[in-house]
Amino acid sequence: MFRYLARRITQSALTVFLTVSGVFFLIRLAPGDPAAALSSPVATAAELDRVRAQFGLDKPLINQYWIFIKHLFTGDLGTSFSFQSSALDVVLSRLPYTITLAVTSILLTTVIAVPLGVWMARNADTAREFGANVVTIAAQSMPDFWSGIMLLTIFAVLIPVLPAAGFAGWDGLVLPTVTVAILQIALISRMVRRDMVANLNAPYLVVARARGLSNGALTWRYAMRNSAIPVLTALGTRFAAMLNGVVVVEVVFGWPGVGSLVVRALETRDYPLITATVLVTAALAVLVQLLVDLAYPLLDPRVRLGKGATS
Amino acid sequence: MSTDTATSTSSATAALAADRPSMVTAKQLSRATATRQRRSAHAKMWIGATCALLVILPVALANVLPLPGPDQQQLTARLLPPLTGGHLLGTDQLGRDLLSRILHGGQVSLTVGVLAVVVSGIIGIVAGSAAGFLGGWVDSAVSRLLEAQLSLPLLMMLLLVVALFGSSIPVITFVIAVAQWPEVARLTRSLVLVEREKPYVAAARVLGLHRIAILVRHVLPNVIKRATVVVLLLLAQAVLLESALSYLGAGPQRPFATWGRIISDGQDFVTTSWWLVTMPGLVIAILVVGVNLFGDGLRDRVRRRKGSDT
Amino acid sequence: MSIHTPPPELSRRSLLRGIALAGGLAAFGGTLTACSSPTGAGGAGGAAGGTLTLALNRSLVSLDNKLNQFDAAVTVQRAVRQALTRIDEKLTPQLVLAEKFELTAPTQWTVKLRDNLAYSDGTPVKIDDVVTALTMYQQVNGSFLASFFPEWPKVVPVDDKTFTLETESPFPTLDYVMANILITPAGANQPQELQDGVGSGPYVVTAANRGTGEYTLKRNPKYWGIAAKIDTIEVRFMPEESSRVVALRSGQVDVIDSVSPDAVKQLAGLSDIKVETVDGTRLNQLFYNFRKPRSHPLANPQVRQALSHAINGPALIDNVLGGVVTAAAGPVPLTLAGAVKTGEYVYDPTKAKQMLDSLGVKNLEVKIIWESGEFANDASVMEAVAQMLGDVGVKATLQQFEPGGDILKWRQGRAGDWDILGNGFPSPTGLASTMMQGMYAGTAAKEATRDTYHGYVYPAITDLVVKAQSEVDRTARDKLLADAQKAIWDTWPCLWAFVPKAVTARRSQVEGIALTPANNYDVLNVRLGA
Repeated sequence: MFRYLARRITQSALTVFLTVSGVFFLIRLAPGDPAAALSSPVATAAELDRVRAQFGLDKPLINQYWIFIKHLFTGDLGTSFSFQSSALDVVLSRLPYTITLAVTSILLTTVIAVPLGVWMARNADTAREFGANVVTIAAQSMPDFWSGIMLLTIFAVLIPVLPAAGFAGWDGLVLPTVTVAILQIALISRMVRRDMVANLNAPYLVVARARGLSNGALTWRYAMRNSAIPVLTALGTRFAAMLNGVVVVEVVFGWPGVGSLVVRALETRDYPLITATVLVTAALAVLVQLLVDLAYPLLDPRVRLGKGATS
Repeated sequence: MSTDTATSTSSATAALAADRPSMVTAKQLSRATATRQRRSAHAKMWIGATCALLVILPVALANVLPLPGPDQQQLTARLLPPLTGGHLLGTDQLGRDLLSRILHGGQVSLTVGVLAVVVSGIIGIVAGSAAGFLGGWVDSAVSRLLEAQLSLPLLMMLLLVVALFGSSIPVITFVIAVAQWPEVARLTRSLVLVEREKPYVAAARVLGLHRIAILVRHVLPNVIKRATVVVLLLLAQAVLLESALSYLGAGPQRPFATWGRIISDGQDFVTTSWWLVTMPGLVIAILVVGVNLFGDGLRDRVRRRKGSDT
Repeated sequence: MSIHTPPPELSRRSLLRGIALAGGLAAFGGTLTACSSPTGAGGAGGAAGGTLTLALNRSLVSLDNKLNQFDAAVTVQRAVRQALTRIDEKLTPQLVLAEKFELTAPTQWTVKLRDNLAYSDGTPVKIDDVVTALTMYQQVNGSFLASFFPEWPKVVPVDDKTFTLETESPFPTLDYVMANILITPAGANQPQELQDGVGSGPYVVTAANRGTGEYTLKRNPKYWGIAAKIDTIEVRFMPEESSRVVALRSGQVDVIDSVSPDAVKQLAGLSDIKVETVDGTRLNQLFYNFRKPRSHPLANPQVRQALSHAINGPALIDNVLGGVVTAAAGPVPLTLAGAVKTGEYVYDPTKAKQMLDSLGVKNLEVKIIWESGEFANDASVMEAVAQMLGDVGVKATLQQFEPGGDILKWRQGRAGDWDILGNGFPSPTGLASTMMQGMYAGTAAKEATRDTYHGYVYPAITDLVVKAQSEVDRTARDKLLADAQKAIWDTWPCLWAFVPKAVTARRSQVEGIALTPANNYDVLNVRLGA
């Protein structure tokens, strides 16, 4: 268990480190110039050179990388060019908003998708289920920025009951959460349905049914417990993905999270900020994934961590 | 104990039921789970194909349809609502025909989608089958890569690459392909793992065939069908991803219309000219629903034929 | 044998429950702390409690202007920090911290600070602070403000309230440009954007989140002048124009600035929303590439003029730019001090074709480049222009650059060839000479490092502009500037140019916004009506 944990953490850290290093070189090799993005429209070549020197961008790439690595191990991700303060601080000041949105979305998803999936499994291959199937596929097929704008038009313009943008109170959370959840509900409920159908037809359930157990008990106490692992995995993966994947929704609703920050950081070629954003979100996603894996043996005593790969 | 064949609907099945020494009636057969599944798979495929073709055909025929050009402006006829002035879906902020823009934009979006899916399908199948069949360091390398990509901020990275290397069609195609190959690779790998243990592979090995030859000539044909179903479903994802990227500004150069860009341009008019956002979004949704339903139905069918292993 | 369900593993189940509960609590707690950090609950609807909510379309990174000089930011920056003077809605300098700001000799201005000046922490404003401020602004790299100063004035104290600003050559417009130098206590000033610290303005910052661009300002109880009328100002950052419009309509915010032409249309006619426009100081141009080889058709001013006749300016203004811009009638906006009318862009496609034919220009192809967001509706303008050029037989290709992209290299001619650049040039000083210096006063030396405005080098014009800048006599200066503008117009530098109006939209209970052409206003006079 301990060795497993150590190995997993090392692997995750390596993944994050390689990603950040990749991003480090990628952004510096690509066209675009942070000095130009920050300076005045009439800045001369000499002034731009001074700005580059100020950010240390005049040094050879490999030196810049070496400095970056040294600072990385002291927890310093550099100073954001455009915010003129610690890049990590800027990311962390926005992180709560993204986490809030991800948490509410995953809660809403769980509350709706799991019962829906179970209902679909119990009514498998009926006309009702077919209808639900088509609806979930439709939900899964809408571009999220489009459904976001549609919701915004309906609930902030036509019937102005909810705020359109930004975070000014709890009601500002409703539209972004629903927008994110629409897609996730579709994905998770279909997944739950698939898994439950397999379990409901499994021999142990036939035995249990023969013993005269109620349908509810069969579904929730037997089948669901066996579906818990895949469902939890799926929810965990979706949650991890949300932590860095709600860029579009954040942009539509002007949500002050990490996703809209990265769009801005790209526009100003704010190298330290881009690196910090990628580092924080990747680390967070990896952490969530790790927690999900650690929860396996709790849900299923048959699973021993580190023994036998679950491919 | 029923022998009454009169009630059955189809004479062919009736005859079968009569000939067969079974108590199962045609009616029961038609109610059986297997039949219902087959029917629902059929229905899905039909509805899906209809929806998808509803979009794909006009898009493919956009150049021959009697429509104004997608970039042909008429500043006096700006923001006309649908069904006015000879514009079926109205006009945009420069008086361009919205329908024409959506259809021509669809050519870009669909081209990118199809190309991306083909590329990611090839990468995924090659990498996945190599990992599954060869095992060893190839497998661990591919598996690590898959894991790593799953935990990365994907859309962020895509935006990064597109913003950094310019938003030309090849870059966007490549980026989407890279985003999607893991799904194909993972499935192919697991399918190949199963096939590898089957006797025909051992037989081929005994016959002295090279490993690569076995993989390409014998194993791949057995898994390719199921892998392609996933690839088809990925087409839907690719179209969505492309529209999201061009919504965020990472689309091919103007004046190319793309679905995402029509929507993001139209967003500024959302309180007055609803059709600019609603229509292109609906078209994307119809197409993606179509592809998803079709793929879903197809997957149900293939899965049933192959047995019920996931 | 009794039928019973096997008892569940109690220990594991209770453990699970515990984890679920803890997880839920953590999640809830996380959200709670996350959401209490911004402005707290509510905050919508500025009418009650004297709160004014502003939504900016760009993120306010700090309340200092050393690098951030965009329009609405100035409004907020000046609520906290002040300069010796300010430029008012008629684009003339008004005294703020200075009680007197006078030209006492050709190279000397005499300034006297007000008597009762104090920062929000109670300390007095000293001459030393002005000295430090000037030094710090000089040392900032890449600053736009620095380019307004042909030379930096030297502060010579006379007594504890009076000092002179001395320059080598005459600086007749110093009272205008000093409006951009914000004064901060000397000890707290640094050669970079200040993140916090005190100012002498009518408001103090009580909460700031630079990451999200949200600020809360409260009335400064120790303000040296007449106190501001509104208790609290909330500053929000909403990048999407459509969300700002919806937020204003629903009363979530009270004022939005730099409103786009399309948004103006959507807000027009709403009873509880007022839209205000004033002619601006920015010049948005489709500027020709002056680095073309002599043999290229565009090196000929007549060809440049011919292309201009293909542009249907009135249609662009009315249909694409929503009527909230005016066509330029000279090389700089007429709102600026010293600007004169030199000519007009006339739409005449027949003439355009004739001119091109008689000049022997056939199958001309031009490439138009611009960075998205350079001005409102830039993409639509470019697409429309491409079509108009196409109508006279000139094939135009468009290349749009995303912000942060490589357009600088292109503009300098180091990355690829182009013919027309879509660009905006601001003039926060309100002076024609500043803009002419920036755009049209190129020299061969500057061109060697590609520091001219896209290769625009006409030594005779440069001479006039330079002379005008150090001319103390107002009439003589204006004469020099007028001559220069006429000469510039004759070189036909732009395919088309327009001056966008500064536009704010507000809930109707917000009163007293005196919008300046430079697109900012003094929050001191803003109040909330019934």
